[in-house]
Amino acid sequence: MSATYRIGVDVGGTFTDVVCVASDGVTTLAKASSTPADQSEGVVNGLGVLADRLGLSLKDLLARTERIVHGTTVATNALLERKGAKVAMLTTEGHRDVIEMREGLKPDRYDLRLPAAPALVPRRLRLPVRERIRPDGRVETALDKASLDAAIATLKAEKVEAVAVCFLHSWRDDAHERAAAEAVRAAMPGIFVTTSAEVLPQIKEFERFSTACVNAYVGPIVSRYLARLRGRLSDAGYDGNVFVILSHGGVAPVEEAARLAAGTALSGPAGGVAAGVALAERGLGQDLITFDVGGTSTDIALVQDGEAALGRGRTVAGERIALESLDIVTLGAGGGSIGHVGAGGTLQVGPRSAGAVPGPVAYGQGGTEPAVTDANLVLGYLDPGNFLGGARKLDRDGALRAFERLGAALGIDALATAEGVHRLANVRMADGIRVATVRRGVDPRDFTLLAFGGAAGLHASAVARELGMRKVAVPVFAAGLSAWGMLHTDLRYEMARSELGTGGVPDDAALRTIWAGLEQEGRARVATWFGGEVETKRAADMRYGEQVFEIAVPLEHLAWDAPGLAGRVAEALHERHESLFTYALRGEEVVLVNARLAVIGRLPPMPVPEGAGRAEPAAPFARRRARLGGAEADLPVFDFAALAAGQDVAGPAIVESDTTTVLLLKGDVARMDGRGWLSVTLPEEG
Amino acid sequence: MTTPDPVTLSVLDNRFRAIVEEMGEAMLRTAYSQILNSSRDFSIALCDAGARLLAQADHIPVHVGAMPFAVQAVVEAFGAGIAEGDIYLLNDPYHGGSHLPDLTIVVPVFADGRLMFFSVVRAHHTDIGGGTHGAYNPAATEIFQEGLRLPPILLGQGRMARPDLVRMIVTNTRLPREVRGDLMAMIGAAHLGEKRLLAVLDKHGAAETEAAVAAILALSEAHARRIIASWKDGEWKGEAFLDDDGFGHEDIAIRATVTKKGDSITVDLSDSAPQVPSFLNSSWPNTASAVRMAIAFLLDPEVAKNDGCFRPIEIIAKEGTIVLPREGAPVTMCTSHCSNEIVEAVVKALANACPERAMGGWGRRFRVAIKGSDARRPGRSFVWHLFHARPGGGGSSRGDGWSTAGEWHSAGGLKFGSVEMAEARFPLFFAKHEFRPGSAGDGTYRGGLGGELVMRLETDGPSVANTAGDGVRYGAAGMLGGQDAAPHHYTLNRADGTSRDLKTKEVGIPLAPGDTLHVRAGGGGGWGPPEKRDPAARARDAEEGLL
Repeated sequence: MSATYRIGVDVGGTFTDVVCVASDGVTTLAKASSTPADQSEGVVNGLGVLADRLGLSLKDLLARTERIVHGTTVATNALLERKGAKVAMLTTEGHRDVIEMREGLKPDRYDLRLPAAPALVPRRLRLPVRERIRPDGRVETALDKASLDAAIATLKAEKVEAVAVCFLHSWRDDAHERAAAEAVRAAMPGIFVTTSAEVLPQIKEFERFSTACVNAYVGPIVSRYLARLRGRLSDAGYDGNVFVILSHGGVAPVEEAARLAAGTALSGPAGGVAAGVALAERGLGQDLITFDVGGTSTDIALVQDGEAALGRGRTVAGERIALESLDIVTLGAGGGSIGHVGAGGTLQVGPRSAGAVPGPVAYGQGGTEPAVTDANLVLGYLDPGNFLGGARKLDRDGALRAFERLGAALGIDALATAEGVHRLANVRMADGIRVATVRRGVDPRDFTLLAFGGAAGLHASAVARELGMRKVAVPVFAAGLSAWGMLHTDLRYEMARSELGTGGVPDDAALRTIWAGLEQEGRARVATWFGGEVETKRAADMRYGEQVFEIAVPLEHLAWDAPGLAGRVAEALHERHESLFTYALRGEEVVLVNARLAVIGRLPPMPVPEGAGRAEPAAPFARRRARLGGAEADLPVFDFAALAAGQDVAGPAIVESDTTTVLLLKGDVARMDGRGWLSVTLPEEG
Repeated sequence: MTTPDPVTLSVLDNRFRAIVEEMGEAMLRTAYSQILNSSRDFSIALCDAGARLLAQADHIPVHVGAMPFAVQAVVEAFGAGIAEGDIYLLNDPYHGGSHLPDLTIVVPVFADGRLMFFSVVRAHHTDIGGGTHGAYNPAATEIFQEGLRLPPILLGQGRMARPDLVRMIVTNTRLPREVRGDLMAMIGAAHLGEKRLLAVLDKHGAAETEAAVAAILALSEAHARRIIASWKDGEWKGEAFLDDDGFGHEDIAIRATVTKKGDSITVDLSDSAPQVPSFLNSSWPNTASAVRMAIAFLLDPEVAKNDGCFRPIEIIAKEGTIVLPREGAPVTMCTSHCSNEIVEAVVKALANACPERAMGGWGRRFRVAIKGSDARRPGRSFVWHLFHARPGGGGSSRGDGWSTAGEWHSAGGLKFGSVEMAEARFPLFFAKHEFRPGSAGDGTYRGGLGGELVMRLETDGPSVANTAGDGVRYGAAGMLGGQDAAPHHYTLNRADGTSRDLKTKEVGIPLAPGDTLHVRAGGGGGWGPPEKRDPAARARDAEEGLL
């Protein structure tokens, strides 16, 4: 029988990466231009390129495809460009400004002239409904039909496309929200309706309401996009499984991604983190920092003990999305970041970017200010004739002239300026990693820096040195790693429910009842997605009596059925607090706020590919003049694909393929690992 | 002294900023009390051996220019005796502090036996002893009634705080566990700063680091001076008023005469009112910081907030006035009032020099703290602090102001808690918490709106409230023809049907179950003449129900 395929598709700003893993483990990468107007067009084009590479027709390829996993930036772009649906909000009378008050916070402490940001839903469409439920579930005011009817009349008159129903204390009882949503659906069939408790059944109204409004804002767009994608795939002959990778790093069927569209906000960068988890499983190491350097930004995340760190939501384009999300730090520094003299008179890199158009000066598309890629070119790290396998010629002289102009303003020559831009990019990337590690109480020196995306290999060794890290890894498929990673993640459904009483931890029986309820509901939901093996993981958000912030406490290792469960749950908070903040307060009241359950449907594991690399050690295929540490050097250049398993390459040297270049510094030793990555060990003294 | 190359300079500049941010993050994560981990009422700074501010984390703007005074006080008190591993502590507003609840830890950093830097952490503590719970005592007429006073002391050596001294300090507060926890978090953050600076010194050497510091400060100074030089020259007056001092004196003036010439600014506060009997007096570090904060707001936000950027500013005040009281006067309210009025007076004067940069006034602070008991949690009393119904921010040449973003001194950096969480944890019912229509000052660009709160007490017995604040007679100022915002209006509607307005400086207000607090907060001041406002913006405000 011929091979079957699994395909991962990652839509980036410039390219759509398509990675296919065959049943024998052979992995193939294809790239097509992204199509921002309708991303699904680029997806199908990419599949066509892939079919060509495999020597198949698109129809044959899709006939043999058992699963497509997709990372999409449709929701993120709709938020960034403010091109979402026209949304209205039904909300508790007396509290209609929650989303615009933003808890009293504004960005940029010293910019008092920053104009106030408009809310996602304008005030005139935040429609009050008379009703009130108390935190203990008591009904203070029954849902008032007259005010609900008046609000629905406004929805109709305004011709809104989506509605978020957001009532106070729906985390305790969402009966009023459900009744109001039903009334809206009955009055306006086909409209996108979401309730705050359905999106995030958690106490704290700003986070819940904001997340619900984002969901309503991007929901119709994401739904239409996924329907178009389904349609195009169906036209091409594919009606099998299509999954979307979500912000928490797991995947879900397209229908679920459309329902919880706010959960796709980190769908783009999530694939890279999933790849880190998959490589950890393959023996790269349990503790990794994923370091994904793109054109305009760098995404950084932690894999600890083989698992990706999750955070309680994030802010995208100024809007709070409080769903469980991968804890990804995004830094405005990448290959396109521009070097310039800042207003304060010092050399700066970014946050302005040359983007895809005009791109760096060397692209010859009209860019005049030098970017990090230009620096890497004039310093000799990139081959002007072999960028993207020769698909794009680079103009080194043009880039050099741009650095002459910039250097003149600082009184230094062009090469020194280019080296300064390269070094400052390293410093900013290292600071981004500090944000992701030391500021979260993690020491980066215990981690391996996993470098991928187009440009990471040129900066990884220097960035690791800045941080005192000793290990760097660059996968063979560095340029398409995010798409590859999507194929290595499981179905995941995250559940949370606030269980706050007037304080304390519920007793043993109540704890078991709470999680049994979550488990029943979660398993039922995932059972509609697929019929395989399902497992669950318990966790809770807890705090000490008078503290404000809850911390996430894993409960998965607790003996659940033995007596004394409540005591073990409290002790889990003490231990977690101690490990995070150096102390515990064992005499203090412990409060359980949110019960959490992750329901995970295990997808069949990916086949392990045959050993990468050749048998015979490869010699350098060229030498290149480069500037390193202020001096000229003559560097050997190795072909990444030609390295033998176990072969060592000593720095300084360059290792390059069509899509990736790795710069090794003096003292570095890189070993080609047969499992598919270059493993770089840095010298003791950076 | 050799000047480092431009790239090394940028690298070190980035490192210093990253260090204070990392210290701030450590503080946020390890602090015990709400006021620190939720409201972020703390600041972090690095100073050089000459007590010059090198870098500061952006938390609460009111501390921006005050930290070097703490280092200066330590240097004056201990001079050549300062040794590696020492930990210094102070809070005395007459010796380097701003007001008593703000404790400041100062840790020296040495390279090869030579003093190079100070790592400084200041944090607002939940209690510091004195006459009332929570530090704000409107009845105090002497600093001794405001709490424990600490001139610079050597808290410990060898990087260890002396346990007996720590015990002595926390024993003098009502919340010893919180104060101890927060103090330990401060020392930890200061030592983290020391560790990171030692790594910088190790990599770059003392000489290169020192040269870089000098160059960074010079660049910031040049940056600030370039901006100031682009403003119109002249001398202008600006004034702002406090409602009253709580002892019967009203309309207390802060008067600034500001001279802008070339690339320098002189701010003369000598015509301000005489010092008052109550806690509205401003310690000198707080006065200087308020002036620097005002000018930082008018410069570009990117200007580094360090010693260099404040060099173009000279500040003059007269002893015996509210902005430079004689030693011993109470000062606890000063980080809110009169710091907000100092900022407003300076911005009003300089609005003539740089109208496009001036902004309408931001709100004033009016606190309420309620102490009572909850039937759901027998035997436990609670203290609830009002952070809801915030005032609005001012309008500016770039647009309308931020609604409910707060006061000048925090400028959108202070978070209020969740209504749901407050209802779940306290015997309180929030019937209404929305924008207060009509509260913003009109203008070409209007101010942001203040908040409105209707909150009913569901305590199981009598409780008691204190107030501390200002702004029921004067709203945030309009700028350049923009109108003033509505002032605050706080009303107590009693369960028995009677009602009265709350004053801004009251202690021991008895409350009964069923009483309702009705807060109508002031908005932000408008910018520019209202008749120039875009009619479409006015129509939108009407449609949004904001007028």
